[in-house]
Amino acid sequence: MLSSLLILATAATEHGEEASGGITQLMRDFGISLPSLLAQILSFCIVAFILYRFGFKSIVETLDERQKTIADGLKHAEEMKVKLAAAQQESAAIIRQSQLDAQKLIDEARRTAKEFGDKQQAEALQRAADLLAKAQQAIELEHKKMLDEARGEIARLVVITTERVLAKKLTDADRSTYNDAATKELTVI
Amino acid sequence: MAADKQTKLLAKQLFKLSLVDGAVSPDRVAGVLGWIEKHSPRHPLALLRLYHRFVAAELAKSRAVVEHAGPLADTALQLIEAAMTRKYRRAVSAVGRPSPGLLAGLRVRVGCDVYESSVARQLEVLSTSV
Repeated sequence: MLSSLLILATAATEHGEEASGGITQLMRDFGISLPSLLAQILSFCIVAFILYRFGFKSIVETLDERQKTIADGLKHAEEMKVKLAAAQQESAAIIRQSQLDAQKLIDEARRTAKEFGDKQQAEALQRAADLLAKAQQAIELEHKKMLDEARGEIARLVVITTERVLAKKLTDADRSTYNDAATKELTVI
Repeated sequence: MAADKQTKLLAKQLFKLSLVDGAVSPDRVAGVLGWIEKHSPRHPLALLRLYHRFVAAELAKSRAVVEHAGPLADTALQLIEAAMTRKYRRAVSAVGRPSPGLLAGLRVRVGCDVYESSVARQLEVLSTSV
């Protein structure tokens, strides 16, 4: 390659000599020397090649790798975001359902408590009514018993009084008459 | 001392021997008592108590005790005596006994049987029925 460049440089030189009197003058004015220019170009190419082969390529590869990693990370983040949103929606739905179930349980418990309270109240009223009825019956029985006792006592007193009165008031004639009647009654037995 | 079975049996036999025509004979009773005294059977006291009970019951059957309040005519006693004799088909003698507790009327007791028609009894029935 170097030889080719030298050959090209020589050829160019030869070509240049012919038509480049002005160019040579120009180059002489700006201090440009063709061999050194070519050598510089060659050096630049070599350096560029080396840089590209051993530096630029690996750097680009690293950059590509990082880019890929970043892209993967972003993609993963997007996926996680989507999953998070879905999970949040699901948890919100579960919470709503739980709230509905809890409300149902509360309503059921309230209804049951109310029914129990009503039932207990009814039973209490019934027991009170039963107690009242029993008390009434007991009072009536007591009253009846008292009346019976009073009747018996009155009868006893009446009999005693009658006995005493008869014992004093009956005359022998009355007794004799009664005895005759009793005799007739006993003789027909 | 409680009487055993043999003593009861003996007492009953002695009582039967004391009867003449269905009535207690005093002579027979005396004879039985003499026999007991002479022979001294087992459990003499229990035997005598049983024999006494039999004789008393038999005598009570032949006797009508007429309890009365106030005066009682003799004819009433005779009527009652005749009625009891007719009823029991044996000789029954009526005896009057005053009982002012009857207030008025009669109560006739023959053995364990009691016939009553008195004011006291009616008042008692009245008080129990009320």
